[in-house]
Amino acid sequence: MQNNPTIRRSLAALCLALLSTSGVAAAAPQARIEFWTISLQPFFTSYIQSLIAQYERAHPAVTIRWIDVPAQAIDQKLLAAVAGGVAPDVVNLNTEGTVRMAQAHALVDMDAAVPATARARYFPNIWSSARYLGSVYGIPWYVVPNILAYNQTVFRRAGLDPAHPPASDDAFIQAATAIKERTRIYGFMPNVDGIRFLRVFQEDGLPILSPDRRRAVFNGPDHVRLLARYVALFKRDAFPADTLQRGYLGATERYAAGQLAMLTTGPQFLLRVRSDSPDVYKDTRVAAYPLGRARVLDLPTMALAVPLQSRHRAEAVEFALFVTNDTNQLAFCHLVVIFPSTLAAARDSYFTRGGATPEEQARAIAAGELGIARDLTVVVPHSDELFRVFRETIESAFFGRMTPQQALDWAVKEWNAKL
Amino acid sequence: MERQTLARSLPAARTGRRILTAYLFLLPALLLLGVFTFYPVTFGTALSLFEYDVITPPRFVGLANFRALWTDRYFWIALENSIKYLAVVPVLQGCAIVLAIWVHRSTRGLGWLRAAYYLPVVTSIVVVGILWRWLYDDAGLVNFILLRLGVVGAPVHWLASPGIALYAVMFVTLWKGLGYYMVIYLAGLEAIPPGYAEAAAIDGATAVQQLRHVTLPLLRPSILLATTLSAISALRVFEEVYVMTSGGPVYSTYTMFYYMFDQAFGALHLGYAAALGVVLAAVTIGLSVAGFRLLREGGLSYY
Repeated sequence: MQNNPTIRRSLAALCLALLSTSGVAAAAPQARIEFWTISLQPFFTSYIQSLIAQYERAHPAVTIRWIDVPAQAIDQKLLAAVAGGVAPDVVNLNTEGTVRMAQAHALVDMDAAVPATARARYFPNIWSSARYLGSVYGIPWYVVPNILAYNQTVFRRAGLDPAHPPASDDAFIQAATAIKERTRIYGFMPNVDGIRFLRVFQEDGLPILSPDRRRAVFNGPDHVRLLARYVALFKRDAFPADTLQRGYLGATERYAAGQLAMLTTGPQFLLRVRSDSPDVYKDTRVAAYPLGRARVLDLPTMALAVPLQSRHRAEAVEFALFVTNDTNQLAFCHLVVIFPSTLAAARDSYFTRGGATPEEQARAIAAGELGIARDLTVVVPHSDELFRVFRETIESAFFGRMTPQQALDWAVKEWNAKL
Repeated sequence: MERQTLARSLPAARTGRRILTAYLFLLPALLLLGVFTFYPVTFGTALSLFEYDVITPPRFVGLANFRALWTDRYFWIALENSIKYLAVVPVLQGCAIVLAIWVHRSTRGLGWLRAAYYLPVVTSIVVVGILWRWLYDDAGLVNFILLRLGVVGAPVHWLASPGIALYAVMFVTLWKGLGYYMVIYLAGLEAIPPGYAEAAAIDGATAVQQLRHVTLPLLRPSILLATTLSAISALRVFEEVYVMTSGGPVYSTYTMFYYMFDQAFGALHLGYAAALGVVLAAVTIGLSVAGFRLLREGGLSYY
């Protein structure tokens, strides 16, 4: 009986049938996609996990491995992974990070990888955020236009009407100065640290580069006047001395501690104020971002990029398109005050409904700003060297090492030597 | 004859086995040193001759990275700041010696004192940096005390003034390192037999004379070790700067190590960063050699 080939064959067939029905012999997934996000745990863990589960159900041949990386560590971790030949397949980056990796020839060209019909789903200006040398290197995910948050108690103490917050850049500076003079509390911490002054120029309608992008032109009389204005404010102690070092983070901390009257910020910051500083949150009101003469505001964009090292580029691009589709972006926007990068999702009445809480009001305000917002990140080659020079220029002017004219002339000369 | 050969070879075999055993004990440490010290040092030195951005394969450029350093103004700024940072070494060592002598002699609350001064050493440098950022704030404790005492008329911008920031950061290095070097000097003081001080006292030496002519010369090995270690740390300073000033204002706290980090992980110029590392290593080795030459003799025995 042991040697009976018919019985042996029958047993083998039975085993195979059992294995196949039990799933042991099921085909192994063909693609393992590693997906990196920035600081989404623990608040959005279930959202991302449900996205992944949904995708894996629809694509049995693909498994997604999700890794959440703290914002401060994303650049170093990505570099280390690329250097070690173990880059993720899909990675969340901001515009600056995307462009830097694109300059190093590390990312997939999304203009080529994404079909035209899919590209048409996104706002054209947002799709172009991560454009470098004619190609786009990141699929836009969510965007966060800034709004104005202000402390109504400090406003009242300064004799200002909280019902009429400053609506323009000039009014904003006037209000900040009055608050400092009357209450000794700082009115604002302007976004002038590092290279952010480039955005200040752009919000005032002043160009950074010549139309052919071959020359730096930010040393015109209007540029000098604008820089000199902020330098004079700095010398009058209208904003804190550590503004240039602490930047946006310092401003958010100071506002949450009740030591700052106004803050231009992404609406998602309000959730932090609510949890960390309930008293300040109670006093917080929101308004539209005080626009400069160009009537444009910055629109920081989060994108999903696919490293060239990915062994499953097609699947990675498809997954990135899934994460950023209308339905999924809309669901994400219901969890936190952010905005979708797709046209259809942004049309949802949810964004214009308003409400009673500062977040709900901020959502409606920011939705109204989307039409005039664009990512103001300056994309230039050798950005590290040029930005280091720009940082030195601005700080030299603020600390009196050079006059604003001398500082900007020097920076333009240095930029032009490298552009 | 055979017996004689055997007698000679037995101790030799025993010695051989003992040497082998010693090396076997050393092997794990040597392996770790090889993987985490010698290999990176060799690799880093070789990398300084290449242009490498992590993503594209390295390209040999010879000494181009070193030549580029010559004309790089930020390199000179960083080098100047790192050299300035060395000023913390004599102050730190002087304070640590005084503290060690005090703690050594003190009988009441000795354990508490030692623990109190050692506490900053075991605290994370990031925590220390954030703590001191608060203390240095315009509305922080340092300015509050100075204003109350009438020492200053307006808050001092400790970390936001180009002329002060480097020294403010240096003070944090001093504050954090004090306990560490105090322990080294305490060990040195414990090793000095009390007979020397007693003999000097019988000969009529004052406390200052004892310190100058007995304690300090006998403490030379500890001074050499602690000075070399703190000079290396001063040249390699990074975390304090990263947490408190990010190299600013106007690059006044931009040190060599910070520039290296910026070049490697900000600009992706890993070859250039490696060249900076080689220069920093050369400066460090030069200083260490000078230190050894200067303080070579002394202590309880020559070494």
